[in-house]
Parts: sequence; C-alpha cells; structure tokens
Amino acid sequence: MANRGGAAQRPNSQTQGKICQFKLVLLGESAVGKSSLVLRFVKGQFHEYQESTIGAAFLTQTVCLEDTTVKFEIWDTAGQERYHSLAPMYYRGAQAAIIVYDITNMDSFGRAKVWVKELQRQASPNIVIALAGNKADLANSRAVECDEAQAYADENGLLFMETSAKTAKNVNEIFLAIAKKLPKNEQVSGAGSANQGRRLVESDSSAKTAGNCCK
Amino acid sequence: MDEEYDAIVLGTGLKECILSGMLSVSGKKVLHVDRNKYYGGESASITPLEELFTRYGAPAPDQSYGRGRDWNVDLIPKFLMANGSLVKLLIHTGVTKYLEFKCVEGSYVYKQGKISKVPVDQKEALASDLMGMFEKRRFRNFLVYVQDLQEDDPKTWKDLDPNVCTMQQVYDKFGLDKNTQDFTGHALALYRDDDYLNQNALQTIRRIKLYSDSLARYGKSPYLYPMYGLGELPQGFARLSAIYGGTYMLDKPIDEIVYENGKAVGVRSGSEIAKCKQVYCDPSYVPEKVKKTGQVIRCICLLDHTIPNTRDALSTQIIIPQKQVNRKSDIYVSLVSYTHQVAAKGWFVGMVSTTVETENPEAEIKPGLELLGPIRQKFVTVSDYYEPIDEGKESQVFISKSYDATTHFETTCLDVLDIFRRGTGTDFDFSAVKQNLGDEDQ
Ligand SMILES: Cc1cc2nc3c(=O)[nH]c(=O)nc-3n(C[C@H](O)[C@H](O)[C@H](O)COP(=O)(O)OP(=O)(O)OC[C@H]3O[C@@H](n4cnc5c(N)ncnc54)[C@H](O)[C@@H]3O)c2cc1C
Ligand SMILES: Nc1nc2c(ncn2[C@@H]2O[C@H](COP(=O)(O)OP(=O)(O)OP(=O)(O)O)[C@@H](O)[C@H]2O)c(=O)[nH]1
Ligand SMILES: [Mg+2]
Repeated sequence: MANRGGAAQRPNSQTQGKICQFKLVLLGESAVGKSSLVLRFVKGQFHEYQESTIGAAFLTQTVCLEDTTVKFEIWDTAGQERYHSLAPMYYRGAQAAIIVYDITNMDSFGRAKVWVKELQRQASPNIVIALAGNKADLANSRAVECDEAQAYADENGLLFMETSAKTAKNVNEIFLAIAKKLPKNEQVSGAGSANQGRRLVESDSSAKTAGNCCK
Repeated sequence: MDEEYDAIVLGTGLKECILSGMLSVSGKKVLHVDRNKYYGGESASITPLEELFTRYGAPAPDQSYGRGRDWNVDLIPKFLMANGSLVKLLIHTGVTKYLEFKCVEGSYVYKQGKISKVPVDQKEALASDLMGMFEKRRFRNFLVYVQDLQEDDPKTWKDLDPNVCTMQQVYDKFGLDKNTQDFTGHALALYRDDDYLNQNALQTIRRIKLYSDSLARYGKSPYLYPMYGLGELPQGFARLSAIYGGTYMLDKPIDEIVYENGKAVGVRSGSEIAKCKQVYCDPSYVPEKVKKTGQVIRCICLLDHTIPNTRDALSTQIIIPQKQVNRKSDIYVSLVSYTHQVAAKGWFVGMVSTTVETENPEAEIKPGLELLGPIRQKFVTVSDYYEPIDEGKESQVFISKSYDATTHFETTCLDVLDIFRRGTGTDFDFSAVKQNLGDEDQ
C-alpha cells in the first residue's frame, strides 16, 4: 500500500529514453488563477477573463532537464473547486501538486493550507507539493506577506514561489523546480508490480491492450 | 445557485453522474447537486473504514484492520463486463483516462454445494468438473455452434432458425441436461431467472458470444474492477460533466422541486431557487414519484483471507443459480481486495447480494455467506428497490431506478441511456465528446 497514489500508479511513467511522465494537479480556491497558470505555462497566453478550459481532460507540457525530459500531465479542477466540490479522484495518483493562492486574498491562503493538510493525509507520501502565491503583479494590494508564506512552506517542506500568470513571473520556474525535485528513477521499482491497474482502450484487437498498460 | 439551467441533476450516484456528463457534453447547461458531502450517493465507496463502521452503528475497528484510509468499501457491489456497455461508455466519453482497472481473476458457479470455475471455451469445458464426459462433448458441440453462428447466414444455423425458435429448443437439440442449461443461462448468458428459456434463442446466443468476447479482452474473466473502488466511476463522469461546463455543489440540502402547472421549473434549497427546464434525479429526491417494486439484500463481509476453493484468487465472482438453492433469483458473491486499493494490506471485501424473496432476507443469503469461510465483520443492508411511476414526459422530472441485485452494470447503463432518450428525445451522440478530447493528450 506504500504506493497509494504514488508513482507506481502510472503505467506510463517509466524512465524510458529518459522521458518521465508525471501527473500534476492544481489545487486552490476558485479564481486564484489555477487555470491561468496552466495556460501561461502550456500555451504562453494570459486572458484577463479566463474561462474554464472546456473539453480538456488534462494538458501536457514538457520540461527539459540536463539528462531527462519531464512530461507533465497537468490536471485542472475544471471549476469543481468553486463550491468546494472537488472529487478526491482528481488528486489520486498525482505525483506533484501546485497549491495556488492569491496574494491579495488572505482567505485563499487559508484554503491553500487546508489543501496542504488534505494532500498530506490523502495523497501519495512522496508527492512533491509546491505553493504558488499568484497574482504577484498586484503586489500593491497584497494581503499575504511573502515571508509568512515562505515560513509556512519551509515548515511543511513545500516548494514556494510568488508567481504571476499575467506577467509570466516564476511560472516556468515553478514547474522547473518541481521537475527537478521529482524522483526520476523511483518508478522503476514500482513499475511492473502486481499492484497496478490498467487503462482501458478501444478494443479493435484484444492483443493491442498489452502495450498500453502494465502486464 | 440563483441561476437558470437547462437541467438540474440531483444526487451523484453513478447513473446521475453519467447523465450529467452526457447532458453537459451535449451542450446543456447543467447544475449538479448532492445533499451529501461526498460523491456517489448509494453507489459510493466509503472511506475511511471508521466511517463504514459508524454508518452501521458498529464499534470502531481495532488495530488489526490497518489504516482506516486504506479502505474504500463499496456500498453496492458490481463488476464491469470487459466488453459491456459501461466500458463502451467509459471509452467513448474519455472518462477511462481518469481510471485504472484490474481484471477480476476468477468466475465461478455453484453446483450442489460446491463451486466450479465457469468454463468459457472448449478447452476449459473439457477440463471442467461441472459435467460428466458425455455431457462435456454435448456442451462442446453447443459452444462451437454458438461461436460459429452468424445471424445473417442460415447455413450456420444448423436447421434451427434462432430468430424463431426458443432457447429451450436449442438446448434440447444439443441434448444439454438441466445442470448445463443452468450454468449456461445464469453464469454465461447472465440471466437472473429462467424466463429466457421460452423466449427467442437469438438474444441468449448473443449474450453467450458477448461473454466470451469480454473474456477474450483480458483473459482471466470477463469482469473488470476499478482501482480504489466503484466510487471512482461517478467521480470520473462528474469530472467529464465539469470539464464541459457543469457546475457542482455537494453538501447542499434540497428542499423541494418547484413546479408550475405540473411541470418542474426549478429546485429550492433554503431561500435559494435555481431555475431549470428539467430535473434528473435518483428516487431518494422524489419519494412521491416512485413506487417500491422489491427489495435487495446486500451483505458486506470483511475477510482476512481469500474465498476457499478459488485458487486464492484476489478477486472473484461466484453465481449461485436460483434452482441450485430453490429460489426464484440468483445469489451473487463477489470479492475484491487490497490489490485494488479498497482494503488494507492482507484484507478482502466480500459481498453477497440477492433479490429479497422472503420475510427473512438474511437467511436467504446463507448459501453465499457459507462459501466465504470465516468472516471478521459483517454489515447487512436491505434496501428497497424503487422505480419511477411515470416516464417524466409531463413533469420533466426524470428519475432513475434504484440499483438492482445484479453484479454488473449492464442494467445500469440501459437505464441511463433510456432516461437520456426520454429527457432529450435523442440518443446520446458519442462523437460530440470524441473530437474535442482528441487533441489534448498528444
Ligand atoms: C452478470 C451479467 C452481466 C451482463 N453483462 C452484459 C454486458 O456486458 N453487456 C450487455 O449489454 N449486457 C449484459 N448483460 C445483459 C443485460 O443485463 C441485459 O441486456 C439486460 O438485462 C436487458 O436485457 P434484454 O433482454 O432487454 O436486452 P438484450 O436484447 O438481451 O440486450 C440488450 C443489449 O445488450 C447486449 N447484451 C446482451 N447480453 C450481453 C452480454 N452478456 N454481454 C454484452 N452485451 C450483452 C445485446 O447485444 C444488446 O445490444 C449482463 C447480464 C448479467 C446478469
Ligand atoms: N492580475 C492578475 N490576474 C490574474 C492572474 N492569474 C489569474 N488572474 C485572473 O484571475 C481570474 C481567475 O483566474 P482563473 O485562472 O480562472 O482562476 P481559477 O483558479 O482557475 O478559478 P476556478 O476555475 O474558478 O477554480 C481571471 O480573471 C484571471 O485573468 C495574475 O497572475 N495576475
Ligand atoms: Mg479554473
């Protein structure tokens, strides 16, 4: 059971040709800029009136490190967080999480702390968690001090940066920092263990499924 | 909440979540509400284990049960047919991307107090202890006939038009005895009673073919089970709905459906009213619009061992055909385990269920419980089975049926597709979802 939600969950996250794939989830109060951070990171765009990304289960983006390519499968809450109705399935199996709050909104920082607790309780013990104080461009209406957040992050072993999806400040950086911190070899030990499930695929030929999932 | 929606869905059981997903994908503006703070309603998986014990008023579990949060115990036991309609729905809606599955290891059938592996191909049939030598040969001929039969090619019909003759006539032609008929009808064609014998043979032949097609997909049995339990399924479809714009509110008590001239126009929670054109819900939200048509008994059994005589299968299904125990409906036994992340290491969750036929339902499931060996903890539920009293055309309130005693999701899917058709006047267009999802995962 050590790998509840852990690396071993993902059949396709083996180190093969030094490409590692990880599931990364974004969490945090509504309107803190989760979708905007993803959009900035994946497409280099920012929208003043960001709408939820309709029709996408998740987006992918790669980060190149010296010897490895890290491919992120990035999951957005699809707005389910709005009325505190996010399904636990969403963060199950995630190897990384960015918990976002809005530096101009103290409540959103409180909500971020709740998420940290929830992940520490429910998610894989090895999950890499980053805390993002978003909307750093609005520093003149700041409600959450940078030091306070930094101290909280240190206490809980989280990566921490203040980001802005609007100006792109620290957006690539935070994903890069996560990529560096993620264990790149650990999957090997988990992979192939009998504890994995398989993803279902179209059944044009029954033999085909084998390639797509663990044995 | 004070907004206007095309449809409001009440309850986050599997059926409601599939419906919500299909409606959102079809471009409808959907509000999806549940009075509970968790997803799944009647078809949830309960976690942590302490919560399950509390639910049934039992004293808290002791140390031996391991970490409570390693448990996700289904309230309703079901498996997916690998080639069945739920798997098709999962694949065609892309929801399968959120879930991982394991193949159920064994499929067994009960005969005269013993269980035997369900033979599915000719090789297994020949090795089976269900039949004597001559019967085996007859059964083999029958299987060859079923496999070779082409609906549109009379040459493969062996002088029996499957469109016209009954299944009993087919059995008789091959000289199959009552026992063989019993496991063929109940463990392969998966009928719950014997009405099929006097009905047209073609539908039974299709079912047997589909059983073997499901089996062919992953090998060990035709059944699949999702990691972390069945409660993942409604959550997956809820996410689909949210991705297509559906709004989610859990922990929201619903006071009433608001009607105008007999037609639903909204839903009230406290002082808030959400307007809508249609309501989709499970029976618990509309007690005045459903009728009780029966009862189902389900017994959750926590075990620290596998089921005896199943070759230590970590997951299995056993069907006890009605006649074997002088009943009108079959008894189903299922087992899943820690390997599905639904129990702490070394633990198993067994479930025995059937349609209630007597005043003493607990006695009815005894033959099932006896197969399990020592049981550490037992939780029994007898639930009423409800059906809507009308089609919902006038009120625009579309109500799902309760979950039946079957151990699979086929009737679940049929109900969902039927409700969708009644509510929208069309069949669900799978292509609406496929195209959009194509490009996200290169
Ligand atoms: C344990 C169990 C497992 C079942 N698995 C499936 C299943 O995986 N898929 C399914 O659709 N139905 C399955 N069924 C049968 C399904 O429950 C019936 O189709 C349903 O009860 C309605 O019966 P019918 O006679 O009205 O419909 P039918 O006319 O018999 O069937 C409706 C549709 O379901 C298909 N179907 C029927 N039987 C099967 C089968 N065994 N496997 C796959 N497809 C089938 C038919 O081809 C048809 O498209 C299963 C039944 C049981 C008891
Ligand atoms: N000034 C500024 N505005 C931002 C920034 N990031 C996001 N926003 C704005 O904040 C609003 C909400 O952003 P979203 O990305 O939709 O927030 P979200 O967290 O995805 O919200 P939900 O999907 O409702 O949970 C939008 O109007 C964005 O334009 C930022 O860094 N700076
Ligand atoms: Mg968003």
